[in-house]
Amino acid sequence: MPAKLSQADFEALVRRAGLPLTPAQISELYGNWAMVEPMLERVRAHGRGREAEPALIFRPEPA
Amino acid sequence: MPTPTIAEAARQIADRKLSPVELTRHCLARIEAENGALNAFIRLTPERALAEARAAEDRVMKGEARGPLDGIPIAHKDIYGTAGIATTGHSKLLQDWVPEANATTVQKLADAGTVMLGKLATHEFALGGPSFDLPWPPARNPWDPNHFTSGSSSGTGAAIAAGLILGGTGSDTGGSIRGPAALCGVAGIKPTYGLCSRYGVLPLAFSLDHTGPMAWTVEDCALLLQAMAGYDPLDPASANRPVPDFSAGLGQDAKGLRVGVVRNWHEVDRPVSPAVQAGIDRAVEIWRAQGAEIRDVTLPSLFDFQAANFVIMTAEAYSLHERWMRERFNDHGEILRDRMAYGALLSASDYVQALRHRRELCAATAAAAADLDVLVTAGAPAEAPRIDQVPKWDSLMNPGFTAPMNETGWPAIGVCSGFGENGLPVGIQIIAKPFQEPLLFRAAHAFEQAAGLRDQRPSLASGRAKAAE
Repeated sequence: MPAKLSQADFEALVRRAGLPLTPAQISELYGNWAMVEPMLERVRAHGRGREAEPALIFRPEPA
Repeated sequence: MPTPTIAEAARQIADRKLSPVELTRHCLARIEAENGALNAFIRLTPERALAEARAAEDRVMKGEARGPLDGIPIAHKDIYGTAGIATTGHSKLLQDWVPEANATTVQKLADAGTVMLGKLATHEFALGGPSFDLPWPPARNPWDPNHFTSGSSSGTGAAIAAGLILGGTGSDTGGSIRGPAALCGVAGIKPTYGLCSRYGVLPLAFSLDHTGPMAWTVEDCALLLQAMAGYDPLDPASANRPVPDFSAGLGQDAKGLRVGVVRNWHEVDRPVSPAVQAGIDRAVEIWRAQGAEIRDVTLPSLFDFQAANFVIMTAEAYSLHERWMRERFNDHGEILRDRMAYGALLSASDYVQALRHRRELCAATAAAAADLDVLVTAGAPAEAPRIDQVPKWDSLMNPGFTAPMNETGWPAIGVCSGFGENGLPVGIQIIAKPFQEPLLFRAAHAFEQAAGLRDQRPSLASGRAKAAE
């Protein structure tokens, strides 16, 4: 299944990150982006309640 | 002589039947004979080791031995900082870095009297491997050097299995202790997050990183963890609580333990090889025969854990390496730089959403295991693949069995559970609730003792080692 993100948009992400990737490296990473997208969808979990906190919220008092 | 376990060596040293110097010379000779084919060590410190062994021997002879680890030869994964000795992360980027201080766990093991033989191969910065474009080659599996060790504590797993050392250190961010334990046929524990200091160990992903020991047996892991564990104010995640006696339950069987079998992981989400399944079944039957209560338990999908782990680990790792990735991209090995590059492409929202998902997964795991003592599943999906056939993107393609407990922080131990295709070992993973390591060691030891798999070592002299040349 192809990635939802277009290769042009993917290349824009790479440029924004400032990584000196060659065209071949960009192509390889873009080719695998289709496996990354479902993971990003999973963690977004549409429907999660507003009150659902991240795992790293901490208590300020000493342990 | 065959390489003894730590427990055996400790008894013989205490009885003055085995000299720490003799034992150290034995290990150095094993390294001399086998490391050329295994690449387990990337740096040896033999003179220092012999000096430490002589000091241990002096203490023993004076009746001043420091405990069961006094005079025991070990080595450290090369992300553990060692004062005055290069600590490279197996990377060109740190090839010449020499720390001024020991990592806390290195110091604790030194204080316990261990003899350090050198530094062990790892995947580059505990992430990229197996790689053939780094300053040192990747470690190879002693059961067949044409095969993979798993990683990233690859040198530790290989060196222990081959009897080059009696124990060593590993680190585990997504399974880097338990994976090599499975594929190399040794034992290794990822303790509860916060039990063992991370200070002085090169980080990969702060909220997932764990340090821990590896050894030939469960009992030896308990002995090493006893020295490594404890509060460290220099590690902000360190738990300020008493360290229990990890060996207290060894020798007890599993009677009364409530064991949950995580079938939805190893039978549904990622079906395992017949040998791995047989190992899990063997453990269940052993515990059942000893009087344990066996039940199935359904935990959140491996795919959910994989997604959260990927985003959290990649984002945290990239934040550490961002400058090098921008300025010295090609000084990294190909596998590391390509895997880590995704961290530059994730959004801040992706990271926070993954942390929110992580909390949900932790809560669901705790609820599912509320009335259980330990859980069991696979340590790795199958026997070791050939080292030249390890998919570069395996972690994207397939969910692993070990990463979930990096997210929950629960302790988990890898134990050899049998042998499969071509005589390669397979392993199970046993999991307990936070800070329940004594119970975890008890269950693991009860299985290991009954399974009787610890008499078989790789036959390196058979010539299989040379096949890798």
